[in-house]
Parts: sequence; C-alpha cells; structure tokens
Amino acid sequence: MKTEDVIIINNNEIASEIWEMEFLAPKISSNYKGAGQFIQIQLDPGWGNPLRRPMSIASCRDSKISIIYKIFGQGTKILSQKISGDVLNVLGPLGNSFQYKKTSLNILVGGGVGLAPIINLWEELDELRDNSYLIIGAKAKNEHIHSHNPDEHIYLTTDDGSMGLPGTVMEALKLVYENAKSSQVFACGPEPMLKQIQSFVIKNRIPAQLSVESYMGCGVGICQGCIISRRNHKNKNHSYHEKYSLVCVDGPIYSAGDVIFD
Amino acid sequence: MDLFIQQEMLSLIDMSIKIGKVLFKNPIITASGTFGYGTEVSSLVDVSKFGGIVTKSITLNPREGNPPPRIVETPSGMLNSIGLANIGVDQYLSKKIPLYSTIGTNIIMNIAGTTISEYIEIINKVESFSSDIVGYEINISCPNVKRGGMEFGIDCDLTEKLTESLRKITERLLIVKLSPNVTNIASIAQSAEKAGADAVSAINTVVGMSIDIHKQKSKVYTKLSGLSGPAIRPIGIASVHKIFQAIDIPIIGIGGITCGNDVLEYILAGASAVQAGTSNYRDPGIALSMIEEIKLYGEKYNISSISDLVGVVSSNTK
Repeated sequence: MKTEDVIIINNNEIASEIWEMEFLAPKISSNYKGAGQFIQIQLDPGWGNPLRRPMSIASCRDSKISIIYKIFGQGTKILSQKISGDVLNVLGPLGNSFQYKKTSLNILVGGGVGLAPIINLWEELDELRDNSYLIIGAKAKNEHIHSHNPDEHIYLTTDDGSMGLPGTVMEALKLVYENAKSSQVFACGPEPMLKQIQSFVIKNRIPAQLSVESYMGCGVGICQGCIISRRNHKNKNHSYHEKYSLVCVDGPIYSAGDVIFD
Repeated sequence: MDLFIQQEMLSLIDMSIKIGKVLFKNPIITASGTFGYGTEVSSLVDVSKFGGIVTKSITLNPREGNPPPRIVETPSGMLNSIGLANIGVDQYLSKKIPLYSTIGTNIIMNIAGTTISEYIEIINKVESFSSDIVGYEINISCPNVKRGGMEFGIDCDLTEKLTESLRKITERLLIVKLSPNVTNIASIAQSAEKAGADAVSAINTVVGMSIDIHKQKSKVYTKLSGLSGPAIRPIGIASVHKIFQAIDIPIIGIGGITCGNDVLEYILAGASAVQAGTSNYRDPGIALSMIEEIKLYGEKYNISSISDLVGVVSSNTK
C-alpha cells in the first residue's frame, strides 16, 4: 500500500480561515512526481467519517509535505484540531502533475482553496521566475498569504478591493496576458473561476492546464465517484469510457479543452 | 518439540470455506462496485490473498453511469449513485478477463440487466468464452438505475423466474444478491434457493438521501441513492440472521464490514463468507488485515475451522 503514518510538524492558521499543515512523510515524498499531485488523508482511525479527504500537495521537500486547506465542514474542522506530534494515515501521492516547458512563459492562477497546487508549482518554477507570473484571488485582504508585488510578478486580487487589484483573478489574468502573450496558463480554484478561465484560454487559444475538484471516494479508481465530463467524448485514452473521466486517476490536471464544467 | 508443533497446529484456524462447489481460501471477498474490475489496485495490494473479488456490475451494453455528484459521505457511511457505469460484457470479456489468469484469487462476475433475456444473454456470452471466473453474482437489487435492478429484487416470483432461467444456462456458482429495501428479505432468499441458486448475498445498499440545505438540493444527483458503510452493519447482520432461519444454502454477508470483528459478527449470524465494500475506499488492502484479525480470534478461542462458527448465534433461535 502507498499509505504512510505521517507525523504532524506544524498546523497553523496562516490567513483568515486558511490553514497550513506540514508533516513528515518520507515514503510519500520519495514517490512524489510534481505539483498537482494530491494525497488522501484519513481523518480518524474510527469510522464516523469513513472516507479520506483529498488534499492537494502545497509543497514537498526534505521528506516533508504540506497542505493548505480551508475549514469547510466537519472533516476540515477535525484536521484543524490536530497538533504537532499527532499522527495521520495518508495515502499517496496520487494523480498526475502539471506539465510545463522550460522555455515558455507561465501564468499561474489560484483562487480560494485552489491555492495549494499553484503555490507548489510557483516554488517548482523557482529558476524560471523571470518567465513566470503568479495571480492569486481572494475575497479580502485577510485571506491572502502573499504580498501584491508586480515587480516580482506576483499579482493579488480581492473582491472588495482591500488589497492588490480589485475584482477577480480574471482582471489580473487579462492584464498579465497582455504583456505575456505566447504563455501557458495553469489554474486551480473554485469551479466558477475555472469556467471563466477556461473560456478565456479557449477564446485566445492559450494552452492551459486546470486542476479540477470533484467529490472523491477512494482516490485510486475503484469507487467511480469522482467524475468530470469530457469535452471530447471520442477520446478513449483514459481509464474509463467516453463520457466521463475519473478525476483521481486521469486527473486532477486536465488540458483546459478536455473537460466540461456542468 | 512434538508438543510445540501440536500447539502450533491447534492454533491455526482453517480459514477456507466452500460455496457450492467452489473453495475459497478465506471468507473475505470484496463487494461489487467497491473494487472495480479487480485489477485497478493490484500494484498497491496483494489481492491474491483475498478470498475472492466480485467485479462491479457488468451489463449487456456499456453504461456511462449517472452524472455527478455520485457520492457523499454521511455519518458512519456514504451514499452512492454510480448508476452501473461499466464497459459492457463484450469489452469485459476481451479486456478484463485475460487479466485474471495471474490474479490468484476467485473472481465472481456481478451482472445486471433490465430484462430476464438480458441477464441470459450476458451469461451466454461469458459461458461461450474461456475464462477463469468461478461464478456469477446476480444483481437484482441496485437502487440507482431507472429500469431493472431492484424491480426483480423486490418480487419473489420475478426472483425465482430469473434465477431459474440462469440456473439452466450455467453450472458455475450462482449467487443472488438481495436488497434490504423489501418487506421480507427471507422470502426473496427462499425464492432464489428454490430456483437453484448456490448462495445468496445480502445486503445491497439501503435506499437513502441527503440534502444540502444551503443549496436546497440533493447532495447526490439522482436524489435517492444507496447507503453503505458501518451505518448499515446492524441492518446487514439482522438480514443475515433472518435469511439464515429461512434457507439452507450459504449466505454471503455484506454491509459495513471494516475489521475482523465485523466479519465474525456476520459469520456468527449465519454468513458463510462476507464481502467488504465501503471500507476498501479507505484502504484497498483492508481485507488483508481482517484475515489476520480473524486468525488471532481463532487462536484466542481455539477454533479449528471458521466454518464451525457459521450461524452459531442464529441457530440458537432456530
């Protein structure tokens, strides 16, 4: 099994209702392929919550893995109550990862809890920062963990205008794209945001990869719960058949043109 | 030394069980729909140690299944409405069955249809094909499809007629999977037995529903869906208990099994074997730990064969 009992090192609120947990996971780290991959966390050895919780990897280095999460329901609340030294059973790493070319311009867009894989990719692109842009959207200033710094290619947006550019990530994306044509877009965030990015990149013929979310059961392809509609129903190059794709084993990263948000 | 060996031998519980003519190395099988086609996680888990694997339901034609959301967690359980998504019998025969030659455990093919002739056609196709599968589990109890499935499972006459038709065309193991969503599960089991089934398996999921009060929408696309997991274990055990009093063919117990103790509860209630379902989603290798836990129980209570425990509790009230 790809499961490991990991030891929590840190678990802190890093912005309003946004938490970061770091744990020691040498086994999972050694199999890690890159930003975009996820893990499945067992909340508790008891069976009150039978299903694991999928969490995108926010960083992986020196045998340590971190995740970033927002308290949404009972599961994430349980996670937020864990303290340093607690042990969690984790399955992973799972899924595919973002694929990028070292030569192209990269625009990274994250919103809400879709922060984790985007920040991870930003760190991964460390040497390519001159050619890369990071856009992060939030409702307000207190939900941001970065500073707005266009000189460093970091663009923050807030719905209420309390920090960075007012509005959504779309405003920032259009602005950045004007100066970075022939770029590639990488995005993760709430479905309405991904939908808008999808139509923007398709319209402008920008290659893009989206990290999608789906309610997930097993994470390994056996429950068939986490489906997303495929745009190209004739594409047989995936684990299931024509209409739906399984996010856990085919994704969670898809070419923007391949999926439909229903 | 001799004494030591004797003690060692005494402490080893015989885990094998027989259903119909088929020998299972242990009583722990993975349930239909919770272990794919049996081949998905072979790189993660040594499935050759399992008692067996029941495939997801195979239908005559490929099925896309239901739109999302298909699953949601509930207290100590989950609701699912996958809608029998599968590749269909033809692709199953050409793509999946060849993979079983080295799998090392008993494969039971679960089949679902909307009419008796559809079930017959599926089995005829498989029977005319060389394969290592040991038998069929007949899904007459799926709550998540519009036609077929459960309408057989809630009717004694239809269950009998279907089972009888299938018995005529195969000598392989024939297991009828029963629904808990009926007035009297024991009478459906009797119909299956009368028509020649080798065994019954019980229970399929319990019809359930969960609502998102903020969106004022059902959490699962089809509204009604199937509840599984530890939440339904007492229902499963009670069903096995009732069926055990009503029939003489073996029962395979299903519903919320997470550990060796849960397996033993089912066996003491009358199950000859069990199927683990939802717990595979947490850990696809969970069946392996159940096997070890039962061996420890066997040692503790000096039990020579797992079969000796079948129905011990339910027999008392027979």
